[in-house]
Amino acid sequence: MSAVLDDKTRNRALINEVLEVYPEKAAKKRAKHLNVYEEGKPDCGVKSNIKSLPGVMTIRGCAYAGSKGVVWGPIKDMMHISHGPVGCGQYSWSTRRNYYNGTTGVDAFGAMQVTSDFQEKDIVFGGDKKLDKVIDEITQLFPLAKGISIQSECPIGLIGDDIEAVSKKKSKEVNLPMVPVRCEGFRGVSQSLGHHIANDAIRDWVFDKADYNAPFESTPYDVVLMADYNIGGDAWSSRILLEEMGLRVIGQGTGDATLKEIEMMPRAKLLLLHCYRSMNYIARHVEEKYGVPWFEYNLFGPTKIAESLRGIAAFFDDSIKEKAEQVIAKYTALSQAVIDKYKPRLAGKKVMLYVGGLRPRHVVGAYEDLGMEVCGTGYEFGHGDDYQRTTHYVKDGTLIYDDVSSFELEKFAEKIRPDLIGSGVKEKYIFQKMGIPFRQMHSWDYSGPYHGFDGFAIFARDMDMAINSPVWAMTKAPWKK
Amino acid sequence: MTLRQIAFYGKGGIGKSTTSQNTLAALAEMGQKILIVGCDPKADSTRLILHAKAQDTVLSLAADAGSVEDLELEDVLRVGYRDIRCVESGGPEPGVGCAGRGVITAINFLEENGAYDGVDYVSYDVLGDVVCGGFAMPIRENKAQEIYIVMSGEMMAMYAANNISKGILKYANAGGVRLGGLICNERQTDKEWDLADALAKKLGTSLIHFVPRDNVVQHAELRRMTVLEYDPESKQAAEYRQLAQKIHANKGNGTIPTPITMEELEDLLLEFGIMQKEDDSIVGKAKAVA
Amino acid sequence: MSQSAEKVLDHSALFEEPEYKELFERKKGFEGGCGAAKVQEIADWTKSMEYRELNFKREALVVNPAKACQPLGAVLCASGFEGTLPYVHGSQGCVAYFRSHFNRHFKEPCSAVSDSMTEDAAVFGGLNNMVDGLANAHALYKPKMIAVSTTCMAEVIGDDLDAFVKTAKQKGSIPEDFRVPFAHTPSFVGSHVTGYDNMLKGFLTHFWDGKTRSEVTTPSININGGFDGYCVANNRELKRMMKEMGVAATIISDPSEVFDTPADGEFRMYSGGTTIEQMDAALNAKGTVFMQGISAAKSAEYVEKAGQKVVSLHSPVGVAGTDALLMAVAELTGQAIPASLEMERGRLVDAITDSQAYLHGKKFALFGDPDLLLGLTAFLLELGAEPVHIVCTNATKDWTAKITALLAASPFGKEGKVWPGKDLWHMRSLLATEPVDFLIGSSHGKYLERDIGTPLIRIGFPIFDRHHHHRFPIWGYQGGLNVLVKILDKIFDTLDAKTTDSASFDLVR
Repeated sequence: MSAVLDDKTRNRALINEVLEVYPEKAAKKRAKHLNVYEEGKPDCGVKSNIKSLPGVMTIRGCAYAGSKGVVWGPIKDMMHISHGPVGCGQYSWSTRRNYYNGTTGVDAFGAMQVTSDFQEKDIVFGGDKKLDKVIDEITQLFPLAKGISIQSECPIGLIGDDIEAVSKKKSKEVNLPMVPVRCEGFRGVSQSLGHHIANDAIRDWVFDKADYNAPFESTPYDVVLMADYNIGGDAWSSRILLEEMGLRVIGQGTGDATLKEIEMMPRAKLLLLHCYRSMNYIARHVEEKYGVPWFEYNLFGPTKIAESLRGIAAFFDDSIKEKAEQVIAKYTALSQAVIDKYKPRLAGKKVMLYVGGLRPRHVVGAYEDLGMEVCGTGYEFGHGDDYQRTTHYVKDGTLIYDDVSSFELEKFAEKIRPDLIGSGVKEKYIFQKMGIPFRQMHSWDYSGPYHGFDGFAIFARDMDMAINSPVWAMTKAPWKK
Repeated sequence: MTLRQIAFYGKGGIGKSTTSQNTLAALAEMGQKILIVGCDPKADSTRLILHAKAQDTVLSLAADAGSVEDLELEDVLRVGYRDIRCVESGGPEPGVGCAGRGVITAINFLEENGAYDGVDYVSYDVLGDVVCGGFAMPIRENKAQEIYIVMSGEMMAMYAANNISKGILKYANAGGVRLGGLICNERQTDKEWDLADALAKKLGTSLIHFVPRDNVVQHAELRRMTVLEYDPESKQAAEYRQLAQKIHANKGNGTIPTPITMEELEDLLLEFGIMQKEDDSIVGKAKAVA
Repeated sequence: MSQSAEKVLDHSALFEEPEYKELFERKKGFEGGCGAAKVQEIADWTKSMEYRELNFKREALVVNPAKACQPLGAVLCASGFEGTLPYVHGSQGCVAYFRSHFNRHFKEPCSAVSDSMTEDAAVFGGLNNMVDGLANAHALYKPKMIAVSTTCMAEVIGDDLDAFVKTAKQKGSIPEDFRVPFAHTPSFVGSHVTGYDNMLKGFLTHFWDGKTRSEVTTPSININGGFDGYCVANNRELKRMMKEMGVAATIISDPSEVFDTPADGEFRMYSGGTTIEQMDAALNAKGTVFMQGISAAKSAEYVEKAGQKVVSLHSPVGVAGTDALLMAVAELTGQAIPASLEMERGRLVDAITDSQAYLHGKKFALFGDPDLLLGLTAFLLELGAEPVHIVCTNATKDWTAKITALLAASPFGKEGKVWPGKDLWHMRSLLATEPVDFLIGSSHGKYLERDIGTPLIRIGFPIFDRHHHHRFPIWGYQGGLNVLVKILDKIFDTLDAKTTDSASFDLVR
């Protein structure tokens, strides 16, 4: 108990220490985003989803990143126009590892940077005519594209282009679904509003235009696996378990998804929601309008996987419940072998996390399965409900940091000296230089999948690889004391 | 002598481009070398000097050529009455694109390509009001140093003059832009001179000239000419010469404006009887009810 | 189940296992695809001459361009000054992108801030963001300078950096005498190299405007590398060569330290870079050498106006390029080119002699930034190789004229065609219809290698999928040797792969 008390005292002191450096106005604002979790409280006691402070190195991105980068970009048989200047599409070109099967440039368009490459004249005279032409050229050169989304960059909203009108006109002309998305980067405070806008676009431009009276052979076991972006194949190592337990996955989204699969959501018996933050909006809509329930599951680490598979099975009949148990049993040996191999090398290691909108809580169980402990966590773009959900995962005394700045995270890590930090590419090299093992927890550091039982083995291997690399012993020159 | 950079601002329809072109023609008569930069998408700031509406605006040519980098200065520069050099920024049709950005683009292009070399006066003629950062471009540092606001005794023209002063104030503290004075274009409203003079004082500047109304202006306009060229002996031509002399002598006399609140402006209008005191009892009552 | 604790399979092997192959087949039933035959038909068509013609008719659509936007270049330029924090006025997402872009290329931290303008700033302008942003950045990161550039959001609404910075100082965000060089960097004009040039000019005007130049008598010059993905190694190589020549050279914008800090337990947010004192003194240097002249055109013009001699080179790769560099420096400073460098030259010529049989007549396609393409093309011509397709998305007229002249001057350049303003989807058509032996370009070229089969030699920016290439120079005679080996390794690996089953699988080559 005293260890927890010590941690709490230290963490509170740490928070005060970092706040001291800020100008008064900024310190007051940042203070609301940092806290020490007290067991029994209904949330983590931090404010979230608030504007980042100007001039403070936030790790956040923008609404475009939330829509094009996260939600729409992975839909593989559509072309996604980064509408505006060249940069946004260039920086987000194939950097997120949303795996897909297909022939790129022919029937799949994931690893491509498609842009209207705005020039000064397009800003001054407006870009609607150019967009019209871009769409014509796409249909000529990419005849197997099943639809086009228009991902607005900042200038579109500022110069008042009417991309909705162009979309309607072109959709009729070329007979393809067009999806205008108003995800200009200046909207909202992070990627999060981009997710929401992207979800609304699915509602307005996909569901509302699809024909749900058309015949469809359904089964009682139809599910859609959604808000899994198939980073390094995560959706596949999840899907395999769902299929093994007797469910029919009629759609996957948006990782490795086709537009047709997205349209399937209202047809499912249950929506399985992986990343709650980025797609809860459309899940709630489908529930409300089409009466399809949704379930937030977690397939990181055997404990949570078993819990989730049982939770999913509970929506179905006994045959599924039975098969779920069989699946859990089938993989127990694998998980045990993984734990037996890696836990001795990892037990007791402390982890600090700082990720997007889901993993700051979802991966906690997987670390605990390996005997590790998460001592600090926070979200880049979580909301209040995320911090509520986090209380089910974190321990008393955990340091909580919302929209943490590089400065704060460095200070925290310097003092806490965790054995591992899990965050993004912008943080990776900072901490590695400080001699702290690091794994990128957005891209799985070019590894993965981490979901499911197959993924857990990789997760364990990677954490071991990061923490127990001989390189950390060489950080200090031997002649330096 | 060093380059004088001035700008004419004012509410749309106030006769801003007519006043500016006639005044600049008079300055040219005095031997000054002039460059006019029209910053209005309508591109009519140089019409009277060129005897034609400029077709080849910077932005339309840039759009045709691909980008502004593909243009040469000769493509956009036209020479008119008394060798006055004329450029129009141009811009989009109403309702699309960003005209303000167009002004920035055009001015950057002119600066980078040496349009100001060998000129005594650069004059910017700017659309209506300072509505966004783009239309404020001419009052930024190293652009216009003196702003002349063309106005009249009408209520909206005075609102606009006050708003433009706010725009100038915003940049005056950081840079060197100053308010040169008000130019009142007579509309024959009540106590027009007094009102304009009073407003000028409130704004911390002076009414630099009161331009009387004269039909010769319309006659000249029909011929797409300035009065200076159409009827150099006319009384009106002499008025513009006088204004030109005053501007020429006004170097360094600009002030940081002291824009007033809406209440103060309304008080001023009330004082001169332009506006009636609001009768609160009639507010929101339809004709039938009253 | 294929996964095991003994031999953990990650994505690269796991999804090749039968249970996943079957899963993919089952999934296809729900995808609504058009079938393998149709996909093959279209895939073949995209490689046809008919498709190429259609592809080259594009007027609006851009697919896989080889260029980025202005503020990226501004951030790189600003990173090269001592203790300088790059600060981008506008939307925050852009800065997250710039940082991760450089992280992925250099495998290093990249520090830059944004002032996080949002919807209200779009309406009212971003002055408040600047006032708070400068204050916060100054307090937290304790920089010696803050270098401000802009995103397209700030440019569209027309924010005025000069006025904003002054106002922020008046409001006490930062001390009056604190240095804030700045540049407007609209992303809808030019590319990342334009932004680099604008920021560089911003620094030069900040330090030099209003000062009187009095030229030094010592052999001292300035060198600027331009937007260079190899800046870490290239700048060190330049410094070494200048030392050999006895020339005091100030590298104006030198990120070679900040993008190559050691792992010794300490994170250095700032490291190395051109100092304030160096920048002040740089005005009096004998001249400035721009290693990438096309991409630094505006800065070069400014330096010339300031009264200095300007030498504009074009990413000098190889023998003649390095010769030109050294001779230009010799002329500027009066220092002789030492025997040690002549020895290095001889070694590079020797290496080329040894390998020329494998290079002669080999056909190459290239894409990348304008100056780098000039340097690489010149080197290929030197090697007796034949540049065939040269795609430059961010070409300028000047570049097009220069590269056309370069090709025309060599018998090995006769087949070379120049494609200004085209993208990598155009390149795909070129490679498919007029095949070449090798492709040179950034990591983005790997999709072309996959689609068409042309082996990719990674030279350019960004290099995301190979490690540490940026730690080796491509300029100077040493750099020429590195480029030569890169090209040769790919030639030999390709030859080995092709001859695995034949008698030509030679041990000695």
